[in-house]
Parts: sequence; structure tokens; C-alpha cells
Amino acid sequence: MKDTHPVDEEAPISKPPFFKSWSGMYWLVLGNLAFLILLFYTLTKIYE
Amino acid sequence: MKPLDWIVLLGTLGFIVIYGVWKTRGSKDIESYLKGDNSMKWWTIGLSIMATQASAITFLSTPGQAYEDGMRFVQFYFGLPIAMVIISVTIIPIFYRLNVFTAYEFLENRFDLKTRSLAAMLFLVQRGLAAGITIYAPAIILSTMLGWSLTVTNLIIGVVVIFYTMSGGTKAVSVTQKQQMAVMMGGMIIAGIMVVSYLPANVGFGDAVAVAGKMGKMNIVDFSWDWKTSWDDRYNFWSGMTGGLFLALSYFGTDQSQVARYLGGKSVGESRLGLLFNGLLKIPMQFLILFIGVMVFVFYQFNQPPVFFNDAAKSKVYGTAYEPELQQLETKHTQLFEQKQQAVQQLVTALKAEDEAAIATAQTKVNALTAAGKEVREDVKAVIKKAVPDAETKDTDYVFISFIMKYLPTGLVGLLLAVIFSAAMSSTASELNALASTTVVDIYKRSVKKNGDATHYLNASKMLTVGWGVIAILFATYASLLDNLIQAVNIIGSIFYGTILGIFLVAFYFKRIRGNAVFYAALLAEAVVLYCHFYTDIAFLWFNVIGCVCVIVFGFILQGLIGEKDFKIKE
Repeated sequence: MKDTHPVDEEAPISKPPFFKSWSGMYWLVLGNLAFLILLFYTLTKIYE
Repeated sequence: MKPLDWIVLLGTLGFIVIYGVWKTRGSKDIESYLKGDNSMKWWTIGLSIMATQASAITFLSTPGQAYEDGMRFVQFYFGLPIAMVIISVTIIPIFYRLNVFTAYEFLENRFDLKTRSLAAMLFLVQRGLAAGITIYAPAIILSTMLGWSLTVTNLIIGVVVIFYTMSGGTKAVSVTQKQQMAVMMGGMIIAGIMVVSYLPANVGFGDAVAVAGKMGKMNIVDFSWDWKTSWDDRYNFWSGMTGGLFLALSYFGTDQSQVARYLGGKSVGESRLGLLFNGLLKIPMQFLILFIGVMVFVFYQFNQPPVFFNDAAKSKVYGTAYEPELQQLETKHTQLFEQKQQAVQQLVTALKAEDEAAIATAQTKVNALTAAGKEVREDVKAVIKKAVPDAETKDTDYVFISFIMKYLPTGLVGLLLAVIFSAAMSSTASELNALASTTVVDIYKRSVKKNGDATHYLNASKMLTVGWGVIAILFATYASLLDNLIQAVNIIGSIFYGTILGIFLVAFYFKRIRGNAVFYAALLAEAVVLYCHFYTDIAFLWFNVIGCVCVIVFGFILQGLIGEKDFKIKE
């Protein structure tokens, strides 16, 4: 039996994964940045 | 190089290229050739964006930069995630709504043809030069280290990229970049593990990081700001958050080599996720590459490093009148290293014992010997310069490749060379693809031949891909080494990006400013940036801010002077 639903025809996403709206995804990226800066600052202070 | 290294190198690159060409064969028009039929999923877009930005220079220069200057270069990327969010919210929906092929098409819709053409030309000039450097930078280092001809190395990188980019267009670029990213990250992680495993038995990972910290290499974040001196400090938190943000906005929002990556997405959502994926992973990726450079630095505290990492340049001194002076310096370098090795061991012992007084004593000793070692290295560079006046005496770009060639086992050398070639090819492919699409869509199809059929424009795109590839190879063959290579690319970008970003920001957010005002404002802004570059000491990251702000300010002033006469605007 032939596959009538090739991967290329998969519906494009309109909502981000794990979040109800795009703003949640944006806050994830910005929160990740804040976390990384805090982590790097801590590492800088520990090892200076 | 051993036969196994050749097998790994050629096998890896051959598989990626053949797979890419086979998977993307059969483009019928420029819709499929330049936008990949809008079929790409978010992970392809995300990896493609990362691979486009990560050139071979990233993998060669960045560890060397960390070796010399520590981790602080990572701050350069702090503005990037913010830029990804701004572009996702504002720019992507507009590009999709207008169904554009290139970012510059939007400018004609908003302003007029001459502003679109100006932005396209600024892009073609800066990206055309950068494409040459993208090939040249790894080629000069690889040819020096491997003893290959520079021209042959340029040709290998250039011709292979031209072949698959011409064959499959945007889709081939994105498909090959997925595999290339896997090779790049896999290779770098293995290299990082190997460096740490080569440390002495009594030096654990934590000890290595502590030693790096005591020697000033864990300087990741610097919040300090001095109004007198910080302006010419290239890498601190503030320049990263402002200059880095503007550079990232310009690069990802207005540079066709990146815009083409997400315009090929299946939907606005796929493109957004691809960009946000980059926003999440780019800083950790750069941190990893820099950290490998720091670990190489620690490795060389226990294993004698070369007094000068570009061995080929140093060898040219032998047989000249300066050879005895060089030998004397090499002996001094060895003696200093032996003393420093003992001092670093004392530092490790003190760190393990958490003895603050002993740590301070050992640290002072290590830092004094490091400073003495640096002086010897400077003297060696001076001797090389005297003996061979045209020799390049900046050797930080050779630190990582020198380590790879000397210490990594057979097979892994081939894999790491595949990393460097993959990186060179992935970014060059995006550049050639973008140069061809901008030339066809914004110049040729718009202003030269307006009534061609689909096949004609497809063939023109293919011909221009080859044409830009040949120009890049020629530029690479005749380019001379510029300061630090990664900085050379960023400096060229910064000279033009600010102005281009200014035009786009005016287009998006300052509806009052019209075509004539923004066009002449952009010309004036570019003149100001060029003046800053040639006649001031302002760090290049600020050019992005200066160019952008000048376009907006001059735009307002000129629009005020022109008044409402220039009222033609297409909606």
C-alpha cells in the first residue's frame, strides 16, 4: 500500500511547541539569555 | 596526514556534497531554486542559520582568540537572542506577507527603486568581499600547516561549493548544512574531550578550569564601564548588548545570506522557530568553542607550546643572519616554560589544598613567568619580521590547527579538517546563493531584463552563482592577511551593516520618512561610518550603531527639509 501522506506535505506549524502562544517562546529565549549571563557572571566571579 | 585521515576527510565531504546534490536535484524555476519551494522545516532552518554564521574562521580563530584573550569574546553574542525575538515578531511576518525573494524587494515596496538598489548594492559589495575572505581565511592556514598550495586549497573549497550550490540552489545549501553542522559540532566536542584527556593525571577538569581562571582566561562577563576607555574595548557586556544587538539585527534581518535561510520556510511559524532555535543555542555553541581554546591553553601549561605557532613562517628565519638570535630566544622560551610548568604544578597543588596564601604565591609566580614568556614571543615575532619582512606575525589563528596536527590521533585529524572544510563550505554556499539571488532579483530581473521566462531567470541564477564563486576564489587568491581573520569579516560587515539596518528600521518604524530622504541619509551615514573607520579609534562594533542612528537622524532632518513633496509611497 502506498503512503499517501508524504512527509513534505506535513502541515506547517502555526503555534510553537510547549507554549500556547509565541510570546511564551520569546520569553523562553530571553530567559535563557538572562540565565546564561547570570551563569557566566557567576563563573567569572568564582574563577577570577 | 596519514591515509586514514584522507579517507575520513574525503569520505565525509564527499558524502555531504553527493547527498546534497542528489536530494535537491531538479529545480525548474527561481521559486524552487532561490526559495526551495518554501518546504523547509524549522530544524533545517535553524541548523542552516547556524551553519551559515559558523564559518571556518569560527573554528580556527575562536579557540586561538580564547588562548590569547580568554573567554570574553562570548559577550559579542549577547545581543543575538534579543535580535532573534525582534526579527521573529516584526520582520518575518512582513516578508511573508509580501512574498519576497530577497529582503531588498521590501524596500521598493516601502520606498522606491533607488533605495532598494542602494541596499542591494551595499550588500553585494560587503558580502562579495566577505565571500572571498570566507574561502581565503581557512585556505591560508590549511595551506601553511599542511604544505598545500594556497591556490589549490582555494580552488578545492570554491569549486566544490560552486558545484553543489549551482546544482541545487537554496535547498542544496540548507540540506548540506544540516550534515555539516553535525560534523562540526561532533568534531569539536570530540576535540574538547581529547584536550581534557591529555591533561596530566593529577589535573582534573575542575583543576584545569581553576588554573585557567587564575591565569585570567575565565573572564567571561565584564560589566565594568569607563566613559574614557570602554569605547575602544571590543568585547564587554555593554558593547555586546548594544553593538552586538545591532550587528545581529542587521545580519539576520537584512543580510540576504541569512534572510534566504528563513524565507525558504514552510510558514511564518517554521521560520520563527528556526530563528529562535538559533537564539537559544548560539551562545552555548560559542561558549563551547571558546572553552576548547581555554583548555588548549591549559594543556600548553603542562606541554611545551611552540614559541611561534605558525611554524612555516618561523622556518623562513633559519638560514638567515637572524637564526642565532631566534635559537637564543627558543632556548629562553624552553627555560621559561620549564620554570612555569613547575609553578603551575604548585598552583594546582595549592588549589587542591585550598591554601589561599600558597595560591597567591604560585599565581604571582605563574603570571610573572607568563609575562616573561609573552615578551619572548614578541621578540620572536620581531626577529621573524626582520628576517622576512612580509611574514605574518600574528599566530593566534594557528593555535588550534597546530594542536590538531601535532596531538590528535590519526583519523581524528581528518575529522577535524572535515570540520574546518565543512564550515568553510557551508558559509560560502549561503553567501554565493545570496549574492546570486540578490543580483538576479534586485538588479537583473528588476532593472536589466524584466520580461524573461522562468528558465531564463533560473539559468541566470545558476550562471551568477558560478560568477560570484569565481570572483570569491579570485579575491581569496590575491587577498593578503588582515589582522585577525574573524575580526576582518566582522569589521567589513560592521562598515555596511549599520547603514543597511538603518534603512530597514526606517522602513519598519518611521513611516514619516520617505524614499528620497532615506536614500540620501543612507549615503551620508555610510560616509560617516567610513570616516570613523579610517580616522578614529572607535571599536568596529559601534559602527553598526553609528550607521544605523545616522540613517534615522539624517532621514528625519532631510525629510523635514524636503517637506511633503516626496510623498510617493506604495502600500
